[in-house]
Amino acid sequence: MKNLIKLGVFVLIVLGMWFYTKRVHTPQNQNEKVLVTVGAAQIKGFDPAQTDDVYSACEVAKIYEGLLGYHYLKRPYELVPNLAAALPTVSEDGCVYTFSIKEGIKFHDNTCFPAGQGRELVAEDFVYTIKRVADPKVQSPWFSMLAEKIQGLDAWRNKYAVVAQTDYTEAVAGLKAVDRYTLQFTLIRPWPQFPYILAMGFCYAVPHEAVQHYGAEFLNHPVGTGPFTLQAFNPQLNKLIYYKNPTFRDKRFPSEAAEAYQHLLADAGKKLPLVDKIITHILPEEQPRWLKFQQGTIDVADIASDSIAVEVVQGDRIAPRLQEKGIQLFLEPEQSTGLFVINNGHVLFKNNAKLRQALSLAFDEQRYNELFHKGTAVLAQSIIPPGLEGYQKDYTNPYKIHDLAKARKLLTAAGYPGGKGLPVITLDVHATTQHRQQGEFFKKCMERIGVKIKVVPNTFPELLKRIDQKMTMLHALSWSADYPDAEGFLCLLYHSDQSMGIGAYFNDPAYNALYEKAIVMQPSSERTKLYEQLNSMAAEHVPAIYSVHRPHPVLYHGWIKNYLWADCLYGTEQYINIDLEQKKALQAKF
Amino acid sequence: MNMYHYAIRRLLYAIPVLIGVTLVIFLLFNVVAGDPTLILLGKHATLQQMVELRHELGLDKSMLMQYCDTLKSAFTLNFGRSWATKQQIMQMIKGGAYASLTLSIPAFVLASLAAIAMALLAAFFRGKLLDRSLVVVSVIMMSISVLAYILFGQWVFAYKLGWFEIAGYEYGFPNFLPYIILPAIIWIVLSIGPDVRFYRTVVLDEVHQDYVRTARAKGLSNRIILFKHVLKNAMIPIITNLVIQVPSLILGALLIENFFGIPGLGNITLQAINNSDFPVIKAMTILSSMLYIIFNIITDVLYTLVDPRVKLK
Repeated sequence: MKNLIKLGVFVLIVLGMWFYTKRVHTPQNQNEKVLVTVGAAQIKGFDPAQTDDVYSACEVAKIYEGLLGYHYLKRPYELVPNLAAALPTVSEDGCVYTFSIKEGIKFHDNTCFPAGQGRELVAEDFVYTIKRVADPKVQSPWFSMLAEKIQGLDAWRNKYAVVAQTDYTEAVAGLKAVDRYTLQFTLIRPWPQFPYILAMGFCYAVPHEAVQHYGAEFLNHPVGTGPFTLQAFNPQLNKLIYYKNPTFRDKRFPSEAAEAYQHLLADAGKKLPLVDKIITHILPEEQPRWLKFQQGTIDVADIASDSIAVEVVQGDRIAPRLQEKGIQLFLEPEQSTGLFVINNGHVLFKNNAKLRQALSLAFDEQRYNELFHKGTAVLAQSIIPPGLEGYQKDYTNPYKIHDLAKARKLLTAAGYPGGKGLPVITLDVHATTQHRQQGEFFKKCMERIGVKIKVVPNTFPELLKRIDQKMTMLHALSWSADYPDAEGFLCLLYHSDQSMGIGAYFNDPAYNALYEKAIVMQPSSERTKLYEQLNSMAAEHVPAIYSVHRPHPVLYHGWIKNYLWADCLYGTEQYINIDLEQKKALQAKF
Repeated sequence: MNMYHYAIRRLLYAIPVLIGVTLVIFLLFNVVAGDPTLILLGKHATLQQMVELRHELGLDKSMLMQYCDTLKSAFTLNFGRSWATKQQIMQMIKGGAYASLTLSIPAFVLASLAAIAMALLAAFFRGKLLDRSLVVVSVIMMSISVLAYILFGQWVFAYKLGWFEIAGYEYGFPNFLPYIILPAIIWIVLSIGPDVRFYRTVVLDEVHQDYVRTARAKGLSNRIILFKHVLKNAMIPIITNLVIQVPSLILGALLIENFFGIPGLGNITLQAINNSDFPVIKAMTILSSMLYIIFNIITDVLYTLVDPRVKLK
């Protein structure tokens, strides 16, 4: 009897092990092109109107699309029609934008449509989408981008802010579906950035049937026109599986490219998307992401905010042990600016440019770059990052040359010789290890001229609250581009005493007047000159101490083709290809 | 006293506790925490939008009315939707609890059985090499940070040796099995140290009692003395220690879940705190206090089952 029990236990253990091994090593279809990516934060759902973080925006763009997009292989960014048949025609006064919509584009098949078959996209869908962003019941974080821009939209919003049910059939003067495929926007005043706004995620076309059918659960049931479909989003799952959209239109890989991307034209003219399936893992911790990438079970690893993985990046190369495995590095500067923002409304800094300039001169950005970015970041001279109109590569901010003697002189001129009489200045930072370290570095720099800094760590909501309530003296922030126009950065200093923005609370009449002149101008050399002038003013008035424009390193395996990363580009997975033969060969080296 | 009456009376006592908990969390959130509208509206927030959103969220109501809403949700268990993710909070909790429990139950059961067995052995061989070794190993295991176990375990056993999945999770049995083995082992290693020391002390208190000497004098075997007499009498502190851990099993293990990508309740709580997501923080706090109250009552009832001398009053 005892022997029988022992035998039974043994058989059970063997069966258990066999089952376990089978589960772990289930082979996938060898001919299927499966792209495996990873996200570092939870996805907030698939409602384009609510998506305000990069991680969710990346997922939404796999499913939904907008009227316009950016050319995948051209830099500086070039707007191209996406769901629109062509770029818009713009009226002479710059206020009326007319779009033709591509015919025959279908929404994904979904139970929200009759017989479960996706219907054709029409101009009215964009009218509905924009109204939905403005609907006070939806509380889209993006409405401020459209506020006081489109004729009648603010009045429509204000009306329904106090009415229980929003009526989407009520016409808005500036939003018109002229016919089934013609869409017209009428703006209150010229707004040259408008086409960029239409390329942003919150303007992606949403079918009203899905919103009505799923109600509050719409965010878990994405129904777009994009290259991939997702059955349903389960927020409890840390794994999303997208399939190639069988009804996707005939969209082709671009056949033109900027000089730097000529080598990415091998798939020119091929029908998109190029992969059959995408699996996206959500792993908030860096170590498992990094180990899975090295194991070859994740194809692409965005290591921009990582601290372990980034160690393998040496200048513009990666460690030889990774090169041997065929791993590739993509490294481009982000269109973002790191700042130690000065609260210019604070009694200490208001009307005391010399004090602000002294702090800026004492900050050693070269060392900062070496310590925190291994020297790969671009030193920031002012607020506009590289790649945007108004950025001058050769421009040097006279208050960004690390010069302690000059800083001490200016400090004396400001009324604080050797820092005497100056109270302890607080620097509020987000309470992550890296931000604290950056704060401590800033403190050390200032100590050299006798300025005492106290680093105050905060949770992110606390930090925002303190900035909003003007409780900070200095605070560390970074600002990234939403669209490729420097206006998105220059606006941060326009009458910023009246809105939070980056919390600079800066108000310079000359700057404000020049800004007002520049932002209504269509792109031109004249506008570029004004942008440059504004950028110089933003530098020399020192409303903030600019640190660096961060680099953005991404690692990907050798079998991944056509990969590139850029700030404003979303939904790029449709262009990625996988070389299955090379994958087999390279994986043998793991 | 009837057990049901006792349980009902204790549950009624829980009401003021719950009111106290909701009051503390409400005050903490409204006085100390950041403005949720800034988080929810993001970097383009305008003053008007913030005012509108405050109205939508009911934050412009009087403090008393807001607290009444909090109390109402605590008693109806209708926590609404998350401010940050807009997901149904009860759905989030159900999914999270499932994931947390698939990891914590097997780990907890195995760790407890192993710890009790080791404690009995250590107590039986008190002062001998085995006892000393077990104590030393327990202290060493307790002294190492949980993070060290996780990082080492992931790197060596999952990445280098490939025995386990590095991270991830899939719902449904047996799909989750490959993902929970390594985190469960780490959980067991983490728990065994303190548990062995605690249970050893409990058992040692018993082995010096007169009834053990009597049993020995009667010629009973060591196995019977330990498992039949000593263990039964040591059950009250053991049960207290075991049952009081149950709520934390449901509420998840924050670091282990986070590093292994297990979408449990620990993860949900952490994100809610980072986002000032008050409805989720509120739901998790109320849920945890309710669980602790319920499992305290269960502990009391279990005492009467293992020791007839204990009476419910």
